[in-house]
Amino acid sequence: MTDAPLVDISGLHYRYAGAQADALADLELEVHEGEFVAVVGANGSGKSTLARLIGGLEKPAAARHALACGHDLLVEGGRMAARRDVGVLFQNPENQLVAQCVEDDVAFGLENLAWPAADIGRRVDEMLARFGLEELRRREPHMLSGGQKQRTALAGVIAVPRRVLVLDEPTAMLDPAGRDEVLTAVRELRDEGLAIVYITQEMDEAVGADRVVALERGTEVYAGDAGGLFADVALVRRLGLGLPAAGELALALAEQGRDLPGLPLTMDELLDALGGAT
Amino acid sequence: MSGPEAVAGATPDKPRMPGAPGSAGMSLACGDVSFSYEEARAPIPALCDVSFELRAGRSLALMGASGSGKSTLLQVIRGLDAPETGAVLLDGAGPADAGYAALQREVGLVFQAPELQLFAPTARDDVAFGPRRLGWPEAQVTSAVDTALDVVGLPPARFAERHPYALSGGEQRRLALAGVLAMRPRLLLLDEPFVSLDPGTRRQLVGILERLKAAGVTLLLATHDVDLAWALCDELLVLGEGRVVAAGPWDFSTAGGRLLAANRLREPFFAELWQRLGRDPRRAPRTAAEAAEALS
Repeated sequence: MTDAPLVDISGLHYRYAGAQADALADLELEVHEGEFVAVVGANGSGKSTLARLIGGLEKPAAARHALACGHDLLVEGGRMAARRDVGVLFQNPENQLVAQCVEDDVAFGLENLAWPAADIGRRVDEMLARFGLEELRRREPHMLSGGQKQRTALAGVIAVPRRVLVLDEPTAMLDPAGRDEVLTAVRELRDEGLAIVYITQEMDEAVGADRVVALERGTEVYAGDAGGLFADVALVRRLGLGLPAAGELALALAEQGRDLPGLPLTMDELLDALGGAT
Repeated sequence: MSGPEAVAGATPDKPRMPGAPGSAGMSLACGDVSFSYEEARAPIPALCDVSFELRAGRSLALMGASGSGKSTLLQVIRGLDAPETGAVLLDGAGPADAGYAALQREVGLVFQAPELQLFAPTARDDVAFGPRRLGWPEAQVTSAVDTALDVVGLPPARFAERHPYALSGGEQRRLALAGVLAMRPRLLLLDEPFVSLDPGTRRQLVGILERLKAAGVTLLLATHDVDLAWALCDELLVLGEGRVVAAGPWDFSTAGGRLLAANRLREPFFAELWQRLGRDPRRAPRTAAEAAEALS
């Protein structure tokens, strides 16, 4: 953690062609090795644009500095290098599946890196097992369900060894068990030392991150632990967000005149608080 | 199930006057519906002997693991795919009955990520596309479009002339929903409508669906979000590998909980909370406000 951050962005601006305002404005973001940072914000707040920039897929309009894995995102060569070292899972898995069948899709990035076939085979098997895709390995991507497509795309991104992972709502299409599997995989990858930028609309998932960054119209308006964000209810509402279910119940109770100790954000914290208050 | 009178009352070829949603909902019954996707190697069975009933004006959550057949079932009910065996009955009428095509037109389907299908140069034209294709007179189209835009919280005065791509993601989702509502569906099928919406926009959409429910529209909601399903839906249908594994009222018994887990689902937050507080989970609240009232 003493090393330079793997994502190190300061004063970054980005504007889409023809747009009236910056999609990202004076943005700050640092993510260190072995850190799981959740990025939250309303639809249109710039989260997906940020994912594309960190992945070297867009050129910043300006920045004091913008580095991903040490590569300078302000220059073409740096962006090309970032595309190799930063794994990006896009919001819509349809855009990410390119091959004829699931296993070819998972192998695609490794083939581009010219890995030996035997190594590719081993790595693909490992990824298919990790995401419960073994039985679907010969299935054509367009014959998969939404959740299966999302798991295939994620397996393909993670198959290539990376230092930074940017995941844009990776659990959006998944059933509750699939959601837990992805979150477990993300924590494992974090523990293996990856820097993880995790974009989500699920407030429960943000609670499980090491740190939360909230965006509003392309600008960072909060960075810190989840508890600090959710304690500022006025900010949460202004941002178009919500509290995890436990927190929403605590607020509703407070409106009824029953204040709980602290602000519970999980079921266990809520039960403790209810027990302590009765 | 409503009888043949309901079919006769559906006025097959004359579209209902658009206005506030108010016409009675449509009843739905699937009897032994099976469907397979063709693939080069072998057909992939997607639905197998699916049978269930949904009374007019009720709401049903359609749940199950990824790939269990939820989207396919919605497409078969809408008539986009014909079942290989079995039948979809609308207001008690089957495909062989007169007026079935007209009933199918009163079934609205909101696809996954429907905003990807927005195409017209203005919000108004996009919403008007369906009603115009049904051959409605232009004055009726205009009124239907205005109403639908209002219902989804995009007032026409501000939004009708906007380019769909100039709207935010949440606004686009609601615009796509307006395109379906403009055709006055009496049975509304929604495929993962909450995915990728921010929590604020989700609350708006929940409000829209609650108003449609109150107006009597029958709702079938395919979702992975157990908490929103519990907040909105009277009943539950769980699919597992294309078969019905549970149908009817929510069941929070031990066996019911096991069934949910076996299908990669979980119990709603408030049901689990009620259980852990030693209360009867069948009486669990649907919303935080209800829960607070019960606890304070």
